[in-house]
Amino acid sequence: MAASAHTSQMRSLNVEELEYQRAATGELVGQAVFSALLVLLFFQLGVILFKVLEPLIRSAPGVLGSGLKVEETLTRAIASALTLLAPFAAYGACGARLRGLAAFDRRRALRVALLAGAVVYAITAMGQWVFQVGPFAEKPSLEMSFEQTADGVLITGIVAGGTADKAGLKVGDLIIAIGRAPTDLAGLKEKIALSAFESKIGLRIARDGEEELVPVEVVPVVEIGLAPLVGGLLLALFIAVAAVVWPGGLTPYVLMILIMVPLLIGYLWLVVASFSYRTEGLLPVNAAGEFGGFTLGNWEFLTRAGTSSNPSIWTITLNTLVIASLMMVLVLLVSSMAGYALSRMNFPGRRSFLSLTLILHGFPAVTLLIAIFFVLRNVGKVPIVGDYFGFNTRGGIALVMVAFELPLGVWLMKGFFDNIPWDMERSALIDGASRWRTFWQILLPQIRPGILALGIFAFISGWGAYLIPQTYSIGTKTATLAVFISQRTSETAPTNWNELAAIGLYQMLPVFIIFVFAQEYLLNIYAGGTKGSS
Amino acid sequence: MRIMLENLTKRFGTVVGVDDITLAVEDGEFVAFLGPSGCGKTTTLLMVAGIYKPTAGIIRFGERVVNQVPPKDRNIGMVFQSYALYPHMTVFGNMSYPLKLKKVSKEEQMLRVQEVADKMGIGDLLDRRPGQLSGGQQQRVALGRALVKQPDVLLFDEPLSNLDARLRLSMRGEIKHLQKELGITAIYVTHDQVEALTMADRIAVMNRGRLEAFDAPDDLYDRPKTLFIAGFVGNPPMNFLEVEVCQENGAFYAVNQGLRAQVPPERGEPAARRGGRVILGVRPEDVTLADAGEVRGSVFLVEPLGRDDLLDVHLDAANRLNVLADPAAHIRAGDTVTLSLNMQRAQFFDPQTEQSLLWR
Ligand SMILES: Nc1ncnc2c1ncn2[C@@H]1O[C@H](COP(=O)(O)OP(=O)(O)OP(=O)(O)O)[C@@H](O)[C@H]1O
Ligand SMILES: [Mg+2]
Repeated sequence: MAASAHTSQMRSLNVEELEYQRAATGELVGQAVFSALLVLLFFQLGVILFKVLEPLIRSAPGVLGSGLKVEETLTRAIASALTLLAPFAAYGACGARLRGLAAFDRRRALRVALLAGAVVYAITAMGQWVFQVGPFAEKPSLEMSFEQTADGVLITGIVAGGTADKAGLKVGDLIIAIGRAPTDLAGLKEKIALSAFESKIGLRIARDGEEELVPVEVVPVVEIGLAPLVGGLLLALFIAVAAVVWPGGLTPYVLMILIMVPLLIGYLWLVVASFSYRTEGLLPVNAAGEFGGFTLGNWEFLTRAGTSSNPSIWTITLNTLVIASLMMVLVLLVSSMAGYALSRMNFPGRRSFLSLTLILHGFPAVTLLIAIFFVLRNVGKVPIVGDYFGFNTRGGIALVMVAFELPLGVWLMKGFFDNIPWDMERSALIDGASRWRTFWQILLPQIRPGILALGIFAFISGWGAYLIPQTYSIGTKTATLAVFISQRTSETAPTNWNELAAIGLYQMLPVFIIFVFAQEYLLNIYAGGTKGSS
Repeated sequence: MRIMLENLTKRFGTVVGVDDITLAVEDGEFVAFLGPSGCGKTTTLLMVAGIYKPTAGIIRFGERVVNQVPPKDRNIGMVFQSYALYPHMTVFGNMSYPLKLKKVSKEEQMLRVQEVADKMGIGDLLDRRPGQLSGGQQQRVALGRALVKQPDVLLFDEPLSNLDARLRLSMRGEIKHLQKELGITAIYVTHDQVEALTMADRIAVMNRGRLEAFDAPDDLYDRPKTLFIAGFVGNPPMNFLEVEVCQENGAFYAVNQGLRAQVPPERGEPAARRGGRVILGVRPEDVTLADAGEVRGSVFLVEPLGRDDLLDVHLDAANRLNVLADPAAHIRAGDTVTLSLNMQRAQFFDPQTEQSLLWR
C-alpha cells in the first residue's frame, strides 16, 4: 500500500522531470524570457495607466479641490516607481519561471537562468536605449571635462562645437566660482546635475590672471559609461539566479518584515531617545552633535515631587490606574449582564436595542462631547454621587468612557453567550440553581476567555484614553498619563522630546506587559468572539 | 411520583408546540414519548421540568399543581441529548453540583457521588474533566448527575442518540434496569421506536403536537387505534392496501383486483359492516412467500437487511407490498412471486377518519 503510493508519486515526478529533460535549453530560455517580457508589459501598462491618470486628475480640479497636489504627485511617483522597478521584476520573473526545473536539476536551472537573465537584460537595455531612459537617459552637461587643482577647477578638455566651446571656454581655464559663490569640483558637478536643460550657469573663470564671468548653457547629453552597463548586467544575472534559489517560504516573512520596519523604527526611536540627550535620526548624540550623550536625565520625572499645580507622575499614574480599573470593572459588569439578557431573553424592543447599540458603536464620540459635558455638570450637582461621578472627577471620566465602550462590550458578550448551548443552562436550573447562580457559576466560567479579553481590552483603552479625560478634566487634578504627555508639549515653550519619549515609554510599559501575557485572550476578541467556549 | 398532564398546551407565538395533551404517568412507570421530529416531545418534557411555562393546562406531581413551581423545587433529574455537562468542572464537580445546591455536607457528597459513580462504572474518572471523556463516559456522567440527587422524576431527552449502536444497546438495558431498581418515575423522549418499544411500560405517540395514542408497546403494535400509529410503529412499516370486505356463505373476504383473501370473522365482520372501500393493513412479517398464495406480484427491489431480505413487491400499478423473505430463497429483482397474507393479524381502517375499525 505505502510502497505503491510511493512509486506512483515517484512516477508523477518523473513525468515532469522528463519533460524538462526533453526540453532544449533554448526552449527553456525562451519560456523564462517570455515570462519576463510579460512582466515588463504589465509594468508598462501600469505606467501608462498612471500617466494617463495624471492629466485627468489635473483637468478636474473642481472635483478634487485641495487634494489636487497630493494626487498629482502620487500618480507621478507611482509611475516612476513602476518604470524603475520594471526591469528588476522582469529579471525576477525570469528566474522564478525556472524554479520547477531547479527542483530536479539545479545546475541546469542556474545555467539557463544566467542565459535568460542576459537575454532579458539585453532586451531591457535596448528598450532603455530606444526610449533614452535608465543608463541612456539624457543628463545635463556642459560638454567639457575638468579636474580639481589647488587653485580651482581646471578645464582639461572641451568638446569641439559643444556648448562650452560656443561659450568661449578654453582648455587650461580655471573655474573659481559659480556666479559669486566659490566652488570646488564636487560643487560644480552637483550644480550641473541639478540644472535644467537650456538654463545657463555663470562660471567665474581665471584666465591669464584675469577673472571673467562666462555664462554657459546646459545641454542634454547621453553619456554611456561602461560601468553602469556592466553593473546592470551583473545585477540582472544576480536577481535571476537569486529568484531560482530563493526559498519560496520566506517570501511572506520578508514582506511582513518590510511592512513592520517603519513601526519598529518608531519604537526603537522611542527607546533610544528616552535614554539620550538628543537624537540625530536613530543615533543618540551629545550637545556637540557627536555620537554619545547617553543619560538617565529623561527619566527624572519618576522621582520629581509633585506640587498642587504640577502633580507628580505617581498621582497621574494613580489617576490613570483608577480610571482604567473602574472602566474595566464597569464594562465587564454591565456588558456581561446585558449580553446575557440579549442572548437569552425575549423582551419587547430587543431587536431595536441590538441595532441601536450597533449604531452607537459606530457613532463618533467627538460629536457628543458638549452634550455629555452638560450631563456631567448636572450629575455634579447631585449630592454625594456628584462628588464621585460629576464633572472633573475620575469617576465621571470613567463613566463616560464606559458608556462609549459598552456597545462593543455588549455585542461581544452576547456573541459569547450565544455560543453556550441552552441545555447547559436548563441543566443547571434543574440541578437546583437559581437563574443568578446559573449565570455566575455555570455560564460566566464558560466564557472566561471572553471576559478576560474584554476586561483587558477595556483596561488598555482606559489606560491610553486621551480625548475624554482631556475634555472633562480641568487642570491636572484628574489628568491621566495621556493628558499629562500632551500638557508637556507646549506651543509657547520648547518641548523636551526626549523626556516625552521616556514618559511615553513609561505609559506603554504596562500595556506591553499585558499584551505579552494575554495575547491569547485578546486574539479571541479579534476573532469575533466565535471561540466563546473552549 | 404520579405525573398528570391535563389539557397541556404550549404555543410559541403562533407556532403550536404542544396541543392539548392529557395523560397520566403512574408512580414508578417508565413512559416513552415517541414521535417524528418537531412533534413537541422536548417541549412537553421541558414543561414537566419547569423550564417552559405551559400556555394552558395543568401539570400535577401527585396531587400538587406544579405549574408555577420553579425547576429547582421539582426534584427532577434530567439527561440531555447533548449531556450538558459543565465543561469547567471535573466529573466529581458535575455530579456533586446538585447536592452542593441542596446544601448536603461535603462528606455525604463524596459518599453519594462515589456510590453512584461506582454503579455507573465511572468511579475512577472523578478527577477528569468532561472534555477528557469519551461520548459513552460523558453519557454515564450525565446519567449519574441526574441520579445522585435521588429525584422523584427522571427525564430523558434522546439520551442515547449520540452513541454508537452497540453502546446504545447496552445503555438501553442499563437505564431500564436502574429505573426499575430505583423505582423512579421516568419519561423518556425518543424518536427511535425500537428504544421506545423495548424500554417503556407505556408509549405516548405524538404527532404534530397532539397525543395520538398512549398504550403499552404490545397494544400499539398489535392493536393500533389509528392509521398513523399503525404506519409509525414497526419497522419496516406496515403495508396498506385498499380493499373491499364482503361476506360470502358466512365467510369474510378482503377483495381487490389481484387479491382475494379470507378474513377471520372477528376482524372481517366490523370491516364489512363499515362497507365500501376500507384500508387493509398487513405487517411485512405477516406476508410470506407461498406457492399457493392469494396474491401475485413482481419483485421490484431487494434490500438485504442481514437476517432477512426486504422485498418491494409490485402487485399492480397502485398497490405494492413490503415483504420479509428468507435470504436463502435467493429472490432477485424481476422475479414473479406468489404471496400469502396472514389475515389473522390483519388491521382495518376507515379511509375517511383514519380510525381503526377493530379497536377503539
Ligand atoms: N423556543 C421555541 N420557539 C419557537 N418555536 C419552538 C420553540 N421550541 C420549539 N418550537 C417549535 O415547537 C415544535 C415542537 O418542538 P420540539 O422541540 O418539542 O420538537 P421535538 O419533538 O423535540 O423534535 P426533535 O425530535 O427534533 O427534538 C416545533 O415545531 C418547533 O419548531
Ligand atoms: Mg427534541
